[in-house]
Amino acid sequence: MSKKRVWAVLFLATTLLLSACSKGESGAATENATGENNESAGSGLKPAKLKIVLYGDESARMKELAKTEFKDIVKKEINAEVEFQFIPWTEYGGGKTDLMLSTGEDFATYTDTNYMVKSVAKGLYADLTPYMDSAAADMKKTVDEHSFKAFQLGGKQYAVPVGNKPNSGEFYSVLVRQDLLEEVGMSGVSSLTELEQFYEKALAAHPELVGYASTDARRLLMYEYTDKNLYWQNDFLALDESAQDDKIISWFESEEFKAYTQIMRSWYERAIIPKYAATNTPQLQSDWNSGKAMFWAGTAARPFEGAATISQAVPDAKLTNYFLSKDLPKISRGTYSTAWFVSASAADPERYVMFFNLLQKNQELYDLFAYGIQDKDYTVDENGRLTRLTTDALIPDWLMMNKNFMRFDKSVPDDFIEQYKAWDDEAVISKGAGFNFDNTPVKNEETKMGGVFSEFLAPIASGFLDYDENFPRALEKLKAAGFDKYIAEYQKQFSEWYAAK
Amino acid sequence: MANQENRTLIVIFYLCIGVFALICLAPFVLAVSGSLSTEAKLAAEGYSFLPRSITLDTYKFMFDSKAEQIIQAYVVSVAVTVIGTASAVLVTTAYAYVITAKGFRYRNFFAFLAYFTMLFSGGTLPWYILSTKYYHLDDTLAGLFVPYLLNVFLMYLQANYFKSIPHEVIESAQIDGAGHFRIFFRIMLPLGQVGLVTISLFYALQFWNDFYLSLMLISDERLYTIQYMMYFMMANIQYLASGNSAQIGGAVVAPPLETAKMAMTCLTVLPIAILYPFLQRYFVRGIIVGSVKG
Repeated sequence: MSKKRVWAVLFLATTLLLSACSKGESGAATENATGENNESAGSGLKPAKLKIVLYGDESARMKELAKTEFKDIVKKEINAEVEFQFIPWTEYGGGKTDLMLSTGEDFATYTDTNYMVKSVAKGLYADLTPYMDSAAADMKKTVDEHSFKAFQLGGKQYAVPVGNKPNSGEFYSVLVRQDLLEEVGMSGVSSLTELEQFYEKALAAHPELVGYASTDARRLLMYEYTDKNLYWQNDFLALDESAQDDKIISWFESEEFKAYTQIMRSWYERAIIPKYAATNTPQLQSDWNSGKAMFWAGTAARPFEGAATISQAVPDAKLTNYFLSKDLPKISRGTYSTAWFVSASAADPERYVMFFNLLQKNQELYDLFAYGIQDKDYTVDENGRLTRLTTDALIPDWLMMNKNFMRFDKSVPDDFIEQYKAWDDEAVISKGAGFNFDNTPVKNEETKMGGVFSEFLAPIASGFLDYDENFPRALEKLKAAGFDKYIAEYQKQFSEWYAAK
Repeated sequence: MANQENRTLIVIFYLCIGVFALICLAPFVLAVSGSLSTEAKLAAEGYSFLPRSITLDTYKFMFDSKAEQIIQAYVVSVAVTVIGTASAVLVTTAYAYVITAKGFRYRNFFAFLAYFTMLFSGGTLPWYILSTKYYHLDDTLAGLFVPYLLNVFLMYLQANYFKSIPHEVIESAQIDGAGHFRIFFRIMLPLGQVGLVTISLFYALQFWNDFYLSLMLISDERLYTIQYMMYFMMANIQYLASGNSAQIGGAVVAPPLETAKMAMTCLTVLPIAILYPFLQRYFVRGIIVGSVKG
């Protein structure tokens, strides 16, 4: 009898709870709706609701600001209720983002050109062209013009670039632990030989360190194995920026690739790339962050961005960028960090564009979104140097980064800032910038090639496997996956686009 | 002589089991020791079985910055596990009863219906649309367990327990005037108790360990479960380390500290690790009893 009672009670409790849950939900929804209607717009715009999806962890301070200052300023400026939703990085460019797009949710988040091309083909992004002149007027002054072009397809703007920072020669420099370099009595690195010398000397002093904390060095080593100025379109294809033509180079079939693998093979054999890299790639990044590696691929900003991370483990770490051997013009894809898209089912895409515009509108707003409230989250001294009072990230730094507004902290030397700002001065915009490959005709081939790449080609490229022994078979697999058809299609589209340009 | 032989055998078995247990235990010990080490030591010297310079700093740091969130997530996890298990067991046993009830004409059809979903599924997208647009499970507590209310495999497991109950028992109850409701609650459930405990444990584990439903359906952080918090942290570091982040302008985001990861792992594993020794015998007994009877 008592058991029966227990079950009956349990059943009742469950039913009650279920109904309570659903009621709670609908109740809240109606409240919101009426609340919204009551608020009349002060700025002439109709009230709107915006949902901004960001990837990564939401810091405690961001949570607070999202409910207070950020919300208020957005309300005041463009009369919109903004809501920030944070989801894990694994959902970027697929996963939940895809689900949200396909089910017609009203939101905006950031994208890269690859994901944009795929999604636009499925009709998932809103066309933002009509709003660019009016709603994005301010940011057009602070964000480079080329960046806008990179996110156009068929003349239509599908994503709005954000950020404006020196981006050229990304990963083409060697980012060296200058503190270690000086410790072993060297002052700089200007060639592969010197880099390897540095490795040997530093290893002798610190046997626990590893050399290179990545499995891909094709860019930074380029100056050693070729005279061309290669710029990669993806894992398979490259352009020679020093030639004035529209020829697509098949990277794996080139002589350059062979020469490159030989360096990588020797690095792997000499343990400059640690042995565990073949099976545990994520460990490399952890090693770098914890100061256990000697050099890495550099970007203009990495010396100060990276130092902040490493200094948690090695407080006096210093980082410097070096280009090996040759002085070739640095190639740039544009100065944007990323770009915002708006889902095709958004009720008010224009308001989203207005919000993006706010982020890069002026110093005041930039400071607020990137650093928070002055004297509460950060202080600025008379030289304009920033001291952050909280370590909590707000709208991610890397995303906002605009050289017109960004602030440096006191630890960054003046000459470095000058160098940083001048980094792009002699850079050349890639001749492929703005070209977006439509992969629909070769979708299957692309998928198969992706498999061949990770299974057969990447281990050769990283030096884990010997080129002579393994490459013929890998190439055979690549051809069988339909690579010839793929490159022909790519070349065709690129030539057409290039000629039109 | 025979006794001697047995003893040797037992010693060997115990050794094997001991070694195996040690292998299983090793990662856990590493995690615990990692969470108790200092970040600098861990970075410099790597993991070890005994913590290097024991400190509770990591836990302090986590509870300082995230105490509220962690406690909230624990509450949600416990609530989901308790409510979810109770409702799932009710739904599962009821379904199992229906497809084993001899007098029910369409039982084969319903058995097939459930079985069909084991072979074919609609895929993630239709599931997501159904859950969000039709059932409105997004951002509700119900969303964290309703989709898992019927696990077909466990339902069949329970059905097998029911089948092993002699039909005569049910028949005599029917002759005495008992309806299905009474038979289900007063005869089937008490007699199928062992199965009940087994599937409850399976469900409880599933609900405790689940992060997928939170990932898909929850955006309100007050409804995050402890597993999802953990997944969130790990997913971020994995993605950032995979090099994909280069696509979005070489984003450099400071990853969570090694020690923090380990502390988080300990926090999620702990309750189960404490409960498991007490519950584990039911797992074994449940499965063995079924096999002998069936």
